[in-house]
Amino acid sequence: MIAVFAAYPGLYSVLVNSPVGAEMETVLPQVETMVAVLYFGLFAMSFDFISGYTGYLSFGHAAFYGTGAYFVVLAANGKIPLLGPDTSFVALLVIGGLIAVGLAVLIGAVSFRLTGVYFAMITLGFSQVLYVLVRDWGYLASNPRDGPAVLGRTEPFSIGVPGVDSLDLAIGQLAGESVEGLLGVLEFTATEVSYYMIGLVVLASYFAMQRIIHSPFGKVLIAIRENEERAEAIGYNTFWYKLGAFAVSAFFAAVAGGLLAGFRRSVSPDGTFYFLVTGDALLASIIGGFGTLAGPLYGWLFDEGVTEFLSKRGEGGGLLPYLRDNLGEGLLSTEVFDGLTVGEAINTFLNGHAELYIGVLFVLFVLFVPSGLLGTVRDRVGGPVGEAIASRLRGER
Amino acid sequence: MLRTAGLTKEFGGLTAVDDVDFELEDGELCSLIGPNGAGKTTFFDLLTGVLTPTRGTIEIRADEGWRDVTDATPYEAANLGLHRSYQITNVFPTSTVLENVRIAAQAASADGAKLWRNAGAFDAHIEEARAILDRVGLADEAEATADSLSHGAKRQLEVAIALAGDPDVLLLDEPNAGVSSESVDRIIELIEDVATDHAVLLVEHNMDIVMNVSDRIVVLNQGAVIADGPPEDVRGDPAVQEAYLGGYEAGSLRREAESETAGTDPEEGTA
Repeated sequence: MIAVFAAYPGLYSVLVNSPVGAEMETVLPQVETMVAVLYFGLFAMSFDFISGYTGYLSFGHAAFYGTGAYFVVLAANGKIPLLGPDTSFVALLVIGGLIAVGLAVLIGAVSFRLTGVYFAMITLGFSQVLYVLVRDWGYLASNPRDGPAVLGRTEPFSIGVPGVDSLDLAIGQLAGESVEGLLGVLEFTATEVSYYMIGLVVLASYFAMQRIIHSPFGKVLIAIRENEERAEAIGYNTFWYKLGAFAVSAFFAAVAGGLLAGFRRSVSPDGTFYFLVTGDALLASIIGGFGTLAGPLYGWLFDEGVTEFLSKRGEGGGLLPYLRDNLGEGLLSTEVFDGLTVGEAINTFLNGHAELYIGVLFVLFVLFVPSGLLGTVRDRVGGPVGEAIASRLRGER
Repeated sequence: MLRTAGLTKEFGGLTAVDDVDFELEDGELCSLIGPNGAGKTTFFDLLTGVLTPTRGTIEIRADEGWRDVTDATPYEAANLGLHRSYQITNVFPTSTVLENVRIAAQAASADGAKLWRNAGAFDAHIEEARAILDRVGLADEAEATADSLSHGAKRQLEVAIALAGDPDVLLLDEPNAGVSSESVDRIIELIEDVATDHAVLLVEHNMDIVMNVSDRIVVLNQGAVIADGPPEDVRGDPAVQEAYLGGYEAGSLRREAESETAGTDPEEGTA
C-alpha cells in the first residue's frame, strides 16, 4: 500500500493525460486532496490509537490537533516566548507534540476517573472550552474567529535533513518548493513535493504507533479494551496505561495539526479545535475500521474521494461537471418529469450535496460493514493484509 | 499466607460479611461454603481490593512478617500475590487463549510499561503461558479466541489466567460453576493440581468436590463464620447441617446427578 501511495502523484498525472483522462479526473482525488488525506488521516489514526485500542472514545481529540496547528502558526509569528519565528519546522512539530502531551496528561488525569459515555463527554467539554478560548483570545490573531495566518516568518516550512538544501524541502500550497531534474528525469511540482514530505512524516508516525501497539504496553491497552476489570485484577494499574496511551495519541494528533498548519500556513478555530473535527476522525475510523490503526487513513481517503467525486467544478473534477460536459445538449434539455430537465435534475441532486451522500454512506457502513474497510479485509484474508499476501505468495496457504 | 481480623462489610443496613477472623496456611486448600447470599463472593471482593472493608484488617505474608493490604486496590493486591478466578467467566473475549494467559504472565513481570519492543520478543511470558495452558489442559486451544471456547474450557481458562499471575494465594470462585457433570472430574484434577504449589481458597457448591479435595472447610452463613475445621468435623456439625447441607451424605449429589441426567439447572447454587 505504501508503494501505491508513493506512486500516486505519478500515476495521477499519467492517467489524467491518458485517453480516458476525463473519466480518471472525475474518479480520482487530485494530489492536493491527497495531502489533506495524509495529515488528517494521521489525526484520525491518533484518534484510533486511543479510542480503538483502549475503548475510551476521546471526543475532545480536536484539542490536540488544534494545539499542534496553532503552535506552528504562533511560533512562526513570533508569539511563542523563547522560540524565534525561524525555528525549524520539524522542531516545531516535536515541541508542539510535547505540549499536547502535557495537555493530555492534565485532561486525562481528570477524565480517566470516568468511563464510557461520561469519558467522551468530559473530553468533549475540555475541547469545547479550548475552542471558545481560542476563538475569542485576541493575542492569537487579529481576528481570532477566523484564526491566524503565518505572517512573520520568511523561512518556508521544510521537512528533511536541516542544512542539506537538496534533502530539506519546503512544503505548502504556495510557498512550497518544486524539484526538477532529480536523477535526470524526475520532476515534481510544489504540491507533489508537499505530498511526499508530509507523507514521510505520516509514515514515520504510523510506524511509531504501530510499534507501540505491538509492544507489551500496547497489549495491555487491548486488554483494557477487552475487559478492564480483569486487566486490573491481574495486576495492571490501568489508569497509568490509559493516561500513557492518551499522551501518545495526543502527540501524534498535534503532529498532524502541525502538518496542516505547515501546508496551509493558516489555521482557524473551526478547522482545528471544533468538535466536528473530532467527528470527522470518528467518521474516518468507523468507515476505515476501529482498532486497525491504518484503517482511519483509508476511511478518510474514501470520505474525501467521495466528497470530491460529488463536488462542484473547480475542486478536482467530479461527477457533476463530467456529466455536464459529456451528456450532450440534447439529453440535458430533455424533460424528465413535470418540466424538470435532465440538466436541472443533475444540478438539484448533485450540486453541493456531498455531505448528504456521505451521511447515507456512514449509516450504511455502521449497519453493514461494522468492522470498517480495513477491518473487513483483514477478517477476510485472516490477518494484516501485507502478511497475508506475503504468505500467500510464498505458498503457505 | 493470608489472614483477616474482624473483617466486616456493610451495604447500608445489610451486613454481607460479619466480623470474620480467618487464616489461610501456606500450601493449604481451604474451602469456603455456605448458602446463597452468605457473603462468599463479597469476602473474595474484600480480599482482592474490589471492595473496601467497613471494619477489620486483611494481611498477607510478605518475606518476614505480615503486610497490611486492607486498603489495597485490585492491582496492588494482585502484585502482592493475591490472584482470583471469577464465578462468572471474566476473560478477554476476542483475544486468543494464549494472549489471555500471556498478558497475565506479563503483568507479573515489570515489562508491561515497555513500549518500544515487540511483545513477541519477550519469550519468557510466552513460554510461561504455554506451560500454564499445558497444565490446565488447554494447550490445543492456544490459538482459538477465548469467545469460541466451550463453557467448560472457559472455566479452565479462568483458572489459567489466575495462575499466570504467579500467585502466592489463589482464590477460586466456583471454578465448577455451570460445568456439565462429565467435565467435573477435569476441574477437580485441576484444583488438586494447583493446590500442590499454591495456597488455595476455594468457593464451591458441589459438596462431593468440597469434601474430597479440602484440607479444611469454613462455613459462612449470613456473613458470619459458623464452622471451621476438617471436612469430617464440618459435615457432622448440626449448625452446618441446618444452615446449608440439609442431610448431605458423601456421594449423594453424584448419584442424584446420574439418576436425573436432564432437567437440572446448571446455574443452580450460584450465589
